[in-house]
Amino acid sequence: MKKYLRAYLISLQETLQRRSSLVMDRLGGVAVMLSLYYFWKTLLSGRPAFLGYSYPQMLTYVLGMNILRSFALTGRGWELVGEISSGKISSYLVRPLNYHGYALALDLSQKTVHLFAALLEIGALLIFFHPPFYLQKSVAAMSLFIGSLLMASLLFFFLEFLVSSLAFWTSESGGPLFFFELFIQFAAGAFFPLDVLPRLLQKGLSLSPFPYLVFLPINIYLGRVGQGRALQDLLISFVWTVVFAAASLHVWRKGLASYSAEGG
Amino acid sequence: MRKYFRVWWKMSSMSLMAQISHPLGSLGFLLGKIVRVVFFFAFIIAIFQHVKSLAGYSLEETALFFLTFNIVDISAQILFRGIYNARRAVTEGDFDFYLIQPCSALFRLSLTTFDFLDALTLLPVLWVTLEILHHLSPSAFSLHSFLYFLLTINAVAIASSFHIFVAGLAVRTQELENTIWIYRDIMFMGRFPSGVYGPMFQFFLTFIIPIAVMTTFPVRAFLGLLSWKWMAYSFFLSTMLLGLSFWFWEKSVRQYTSSSS
Repeated sequence: MKKYLRAYLISLQETLQRRSSLVMDRLGGVAVMLSLYYFWKTLLSGRPAFLGYSYPQMLTYVLGMNILRSFALTGRGWELVGEISSGKISSYLVRPLNYHGYALALDLSQKTVHLFAALLEIGALLIFFHPPFYLQKSVAAMSLFIGSLLMASLLFFFLEFLVSSLAFWTSESGGPLFFFELFIQFAAGAFFPLDVLPRLLQKGLSLSPFPYLVFLPINIYLGRVGQGRALQDLLISFVWTVVFAAASLHVWRKGLASYSAEGG
Repeated sequence: MRKYFRVWWKMSSMSLMAQISHPLGSLGFLLGKIVRVVFFFAFIIAIFQHVKSLAGYSLEETALFFLTFNIVDISAQILFRGIYNARRAVTEGDFDFYLIQPCSALFRLSLTTFDFLDALTLLPVLWVTLEILHHLSPSAFSLHSFLYFLLTINAVAIASSFHIFVAGLAVRTQELENTIWIYRDIMFMGRFPSGVYGPMFQFFLTFIIPIAVMTTFPVRAFLGLLSWKWMAYSFFLSTMLLGLSFWFWEKSVRQYTSSSS
């Protein structure tokens, strides 16, 4: 456990060291947040609610998206693809560590930095623009929200790991990963609430793990999901996480069995 | 000119072959690009199932803003895909070879990596745009259609100036990724009409980083909502930015001392 904590701390320092990259990463998120903030603000002006979201709830959904994107939808998929394709992964395989644990430690360090950056951005937006903000006061709802946030982060980690592991068999895994990253942002509700979509599409997505990544956690925060239902959804999210963790580990083992590298 | 076309043709054929030889990767990138356009388009349509207008614009008009953004954004990416490899070309020494070749180094660096995946994405966008334009104004050769076409070309010229500036920066500082991503990130705001944003951001998007001039002005001109004053500003801006970017590029190349071994 100690070595993973050390890996987490070193990666944390490294992420903070590359400040310009971090700022650029964040700028993209801020541009998305501001665009959607103004979009919904304009759409809801003169309307008390839209699709059951009150004005403060919808604007809070936009701000919440920034947190979920930063904590749940941030990952190291491209690094993993690069490490497998270049053979750099070999150097980790000979070390006395579990690669999934190591990757999770690095992933968590990135998420920590991005989460704090997202909170700062939201704080700045609240100070400068004074948007009506939906503050969740219920301790139970907040606990469920934090639980769903952690579960979403784990679920995304295993989903991304699974897709990135394609690199064991093909040098073209960048394409599928690119598609996965874009698709998941829409299917998870990281651009707009899924309630906006036609009912059939909503039903289809509800059978997938994607809404548990962004849409569900924000709706729990907004109090739009009752506590009983939230617990049930959290359980489903847990089952999805276990399924994808098992799939990811299985594919990883298969990939390692077919992996070969030359040189040092 | 013929020589440039031959070089472009040859290099583009090679790009196409490279993309065909990586079918899985290319399919993934193509699907990703299509998903990005289709989902946002579906989002706009879905929104208009519940409201009649957005910032005073109807569904077709709002869709036209979004599609115009895509035309400008994708066109710039098709033409200037090579810019994304500019830093590598400079640091690995390829740029030194471009300088001794008998054609413009800027042309060689930026225009010769034609992205067919973007071109494939652009085709349905153009088709839907033409359908909407025809629906909004059945007369194909009206003055407003002509102005839309002209201002869209003008927008691609502005996008080109940004890319040329970034290429100059890559040659000068070997830094690139950050600058091009600032542009791409802020470009996200062009998906919606600039009227959606508050006065401060409208000013920023019109005068500081003129995304609104690139994505909102052509549609406003088509709808007859853009005054001649703003059109003149739009053409003046593109001329000035293109001039400045070429000047910066020339200056960067003159100061270039080769950075590879």
